Amino acid sequence: MRPFTTMVYRQLKRFVRARSRLIGSIANSVVWLVFFGVGFSGFVKNYLSFLAPGIFIMAVFNYSVFSGMSVIWDKEFGFLKEVLVAPSSRKEVIAGRIFGDSLVSIAQGLLILILSFGLVRMNPLGIPPATFFGFAVALCFSSMGVVIALKMKSMEGFHAIMSVLILPTIFLSGALFPIKYMPAWMRVIAYLNPMTYAVDGARFFLTGIGEIGATFDFLAISIVSVVSILLATISFERTGLE
Amino acid sequence: MIEVEDLVKEFDGFRALNGISFKVNEGEVFAFLGPNGAGKTTTVNILTTLLKPTSGRAYVAGYDVVRNAKDVRRKIGVVFQDPSLDRDLTAYENLLIHAGVYGIEKPDIKWALEFVGLWEFRNKVVRFFSGGMQRRLEIARALLHEPEVLFLDEPTLGLDPQTRAKIWELIDSLDVTVFLTTHYMDEAERLADRVAIIDRGRIIAIGSVEELKRMVGGDLIFLRVEGKFEGIEHVVLPDGRIMIEVKNATEFIPELFELAKAKGFRIVEIEYRRPTLNDVFLQLTGREIRNGEDDSLKFAIARRFRR
Repeated sequence: MRPFTTMVYRQLKRFVRARSRLIGSIANSVVWLVFFGVGFSGFVKNYLSFLAPGIFIMAVFNYSVFSGMSVIWDKEFGFLKEVLVAPSSRKEVIAGRIFGDSLVSIAQGLLILILSFGLVRMNPLGIPPATFFGFAVALCFSSMGVVIALKMKSMEGFHAIMSVLILPTIFLSGALFPIKYMPAWMRVIAYLNPMTYAVDGARFFLTGIGEIGATFDFLAISIVSVVSILLATISFERTGLE
Repeated sequence: MIEVEDLVKEFDGFRALNGISFKVNEGEVFAFLGPNGAGKTTTVNILTTLLKPTSGRAYVAGYDVVRNAKDVRRKIGVVFQDPSLDRDLTAYENLLIHAGVYGIEKPDIKWALEFVGLWEFRNKVVRFFSGGMQRRLEIARALLHEPEVLFLDEPTLGLDPQTRAKIWELIDSLDVTVFLTTHYMDEAERLADRVAIIDRGRIIAIGSVEELKRMVGGDLIFLRVEGKFEGIEHVVLPDGRIMIEVKNATEFIPELFELAKAKGFRIVEIEYRRPTLNDVFLQLTGREIRNGEDDSLKFAIARRFRR
């Protein structure tokens, strides 16, 4: 196996072994979809069909940030050193890792999406483009997670950063409520948030509702993903023990 | 196989390595012996290309560890002080991933696992392995890509005596050049063809175990006395004991009692032994290697709890 495929294999294997994590993250999305979505639907008409694509992207986002940042466990528990003394290309190793994590993330997201088809009527033809947006989000945030994890010196910072980053990214992505009702200052942040474009794009293809425009969504998330992967490979290449 | 010239490593102004030089010949087991914090792991990290030296040169298998880091990495196998296995994966999967990361086309995983006696546990998840099994698996992994030099950083730290003995047998049976660090003098005595004693970032003695012991000379007598001890050249140890170096302790001890009678001091405790590497260290530094032992125990416990 090449280092790239090896790392994809490793991330998939590790995920399969940690079944409780899968159940946990799916349960989390189901809670949002049912208790929040169905509950809110009495208040805002058709809210569930607005929310479902958002929850799909959110599920992908959650897992990919988490898995990217789990590089910090590799750091703590030594696997990182094992990779750093290997003669192969570090870029290839980390790219494989990110790709493997993204496959896991999108698989979870798709499971949620299929479940939500049971609650909401959406366009099944929207699934392939939505998968693209989901996968782009996964690559983007796995990479960012890797970059952050490599910068961090200790495990203590991990939970702090997770809680400071995750909820605002979700709230300011249009996943739960439309960007257009946000005050201007908040909307500026939302436009800077790459997740916004994935939510908008996936929602457009699944339900026909869009705020930004699918072409722009496509370009924005694609560019940010590629740049994030490059950043992750560069920072991994430069990683040492100091 | 390894050549180090005047290696210096500083961390934020602290000198972890203070200009060390040594050579390791092909096929030998070379031990770096010293207390915790002496600079052993820093040396390993530099030789395995994980850290860059502040100054000085180091060559492993003919390649410069800074300029030709990739070539060095191809030639070395490393077992780190801290476990670095994928605990959620099986023994077999761990080796498969290692082979993939190293780009080995047809890895002989069966050979590697059989060599360390873990083939029958190949499908067991590493999480359920004992400390000794994990260490053996790490050795198998480090050998899988057929390295020319194997680095073992404190290979038996935190293991029980029987398991240590097993790991020692395993190291004995290797036919590669081995660079190992340890703060256990018995480990260095048991395994090493040559030993470098390192303390506070400097190599204070280097040679075969016999050569090093000869630095101490003959037997060592340790005594505790009441009254003023005088008349013989001696060293007073930090714990108040007196250390005397003699050619033959069994012949000398009776003389010592006569001396005590003549000089008017009383011997309350007496002990003698053939010199060990610890005595060499004691002679050179006035301290015992074992002073660090408590820390390492705490460390081993902390490592267990972390998981």
